[in-house]
Amino acid sequence: MSSKFNKELQTLVGDKIISPELADKIEQYYATKDIGKPTKLFMIFGIFGALLVGSGIILMLAHNWDDFSRLTKTILAFAPLLLGQVFTGFSILKNKSVTWKEASGTFLFFSVGACMALVSQIYNIPGELGSFLLIWMILCLPLVYLLRSHAVSLLIILLSTYYAIEVGIWNYRNTETPWLYIAFLAAILPHYYHLLTKNTTSNTVTIFNWILPASIAIALSTFIGRSEDLGFVMYITMFGFLYTIGRLTVFKELRTLRNGFLIIGSLGTIVLLMIFTFRWVWDELPKTFNYDTQELYTAVAVFLLSISVLGYIVIRKGIRAVNLFQVAFVIFGLVYFLLPDTGILPVVLMNALVFALGMSAIKIGADKFNFGILNYGLLIISILIICRFFDTEMSFVVRGILFVMVGAGFFLTNYIMLKQQQRIKNN
Amino acid sequence: MKPIYFIVFIVVAVLQIGTPLKMIFDNEDILISGTAYKFKTRPVDPTDPFRGKYITLQFEMNSFEISDSDTAYVYGDEIRVYIENDDEGFAKVVQVSRKPLDIGSDYVIAKVTNTYSDEIMFELPFDRFYMEETKAYDAEKAYRDVNRNSKKNEVYAVVYVKDGASVLENVIIEGIPIQEYVE
Repeated sequence: MSSKFNKELQTLVGDKIISPELADKIEQYYATKDIGKPTKLFMIFGIFGALLVGSGIILMLAHNWDDFSRLTKTILAFAPLLLGQVFTGFSILKNKSVTWKEASGTFLFFSVGACMALVSQIYNIPGELGSFLLIWMILCLPLVYLLRSHAVSLLIILLSTYYAIEVGIWNYRNTETPWLYIAFLAAILPHYYHLLTKNTTSNTVTIFNWILPASIAIALSTFIGRSEDLGFVMYITMFGFLYTIGRLTVFKELRTLRNGFLIIGSLGTIVLLMIFTFRWVWDELPKTFNYDTQELYTAVAVFLLSISVLGYIVIRKGIRAVNLFQVAFVIFGLVYFLLPDTGILPVVLMNALVFALGMSAIKIGADKFNFGILNYGLLIISILIICRFFDTEMSFVVRGILFVMVGAGFFLTNYIMLKQQQRIKNN
Repeated sequence: MKPIYFIVFIVVAVLQIGTPLKMIFDNEDILISGTAYKFKTRPVDPTDPFRGKYITLQFEMNSFEISDSDTAYVYGDEIRVYIENDDEGFAKVVQVSRKPLDIGSDYVIAKVTNTYSDEIMFELPFDRFYMEETKAYDAEKAYRDVNRNSKKNEVYAVVYVKDGASVLENVIIEGIPIQEYVE
């Protein structure tokens, strides 16, 4: 327990707010409560230690020691693997602490990769990086559930994202789609769900809450082929999906900053829709929809997924529980596919949509007394107005007046809310 | 913790050891009982983030004129390239085919990269040779020097071939293994 806390207790006793007996009781209470703390710190150090040692071994092996014989190299390849397996086996058999499991699992994860990498070096095995990563992940996936290891599951999410980019984008020779990324994600989800329902507000969950949507947002680009315009539709739909996930009841307890689904979904939606408020974007869209089937099916699948999550929420909680951010992708889809050749109309509708999103963010912020969300809404509207200066003919006087009005709006809204908050506090 | 967890872990551990062991076994088998061929080649120098520095080999043998232009090959097709030694002791193509042929020669599996009217371009599978990180770039440079002195025949890869599988054993410049040559 911190000495600062003890000092505060002494001050309270000195000021006769609490009795010395009560201070002792409080001190004892926290002393017993803190017993669990050091293990947490140990766990973090354990994981980081294993992470550094493991990746260090991979780097050292990547040097490709010419002077070692084939046998020496082979022994070097298997030594860390066997060591990692002994530690992991031991922690499973003896049901050791979380620290043991996380650290040994992390080390084993890296030693499996190192072993295969070294054997590939020894025999100059030409396999693609993608298939190397694939085998590595398959061999380590069971560790997530055998050890209930968060570190290994995070590593698998990171590596599968890398795999998706490697196969789908960087590999110039093959234009493959990394379907197996979905399988890996699906394999990790039960672990995440278990963690989420059991311990929603923990830091581990927060890490997952950010890494998962970030991984999905990155990996989606690998499923998009040549039709970049369809890619925009897929991305807007996916961001709507992430936002809706972030609004599920499980996340209700969370502070907004701990909810990566909500933030990534909301920011993504706004940024992409903002792009479509420009007229030239609509002018440059292809006049006919001509997609290859795989892309179209992927887009339809993403859309169905998003719609079904949205439908679930509507059925469970009624239409009033849904806010504009959740349906923005539907509105965009309708405008995009039904009204593309109607001149200025889609541009006007998109501007109206972004404006409405800004207003609804302001309203959410005001309802929750959350200054962050309130100003986020104001920011959306300000950026929208600034953007309009680029493609409209407007005199400088009018632009100047608009800027002043937006600035005044910022002050006024924040001021009103601050006053309101104070009034509620005083009552 | 339930004993089933440990049993499952043992299975996982066996797979984790077994996968690299299988890789070793397959490759050793080819090195021991396969036939060695020499392929004229040219090294260039990229990196793999996990497995380290290697040189990519561009082989002189990368195309073949096919007689039956009816058979359409497309990019990415896997083909069998049947090989034998020419007069100078280097590998040359006898025939390419999608299906197994009964002509008694060894073959390697290659990937089609391009086709012209009656010529088929392909990529041999053993194009990766791992080297110590300080040496890989020197290897590329060494080749350029040798090539400038028009001793093209003296850079080749030694590849063991057995039943279509192949292991790249070494790369030789002027009769010396490339690791020693660049030292």
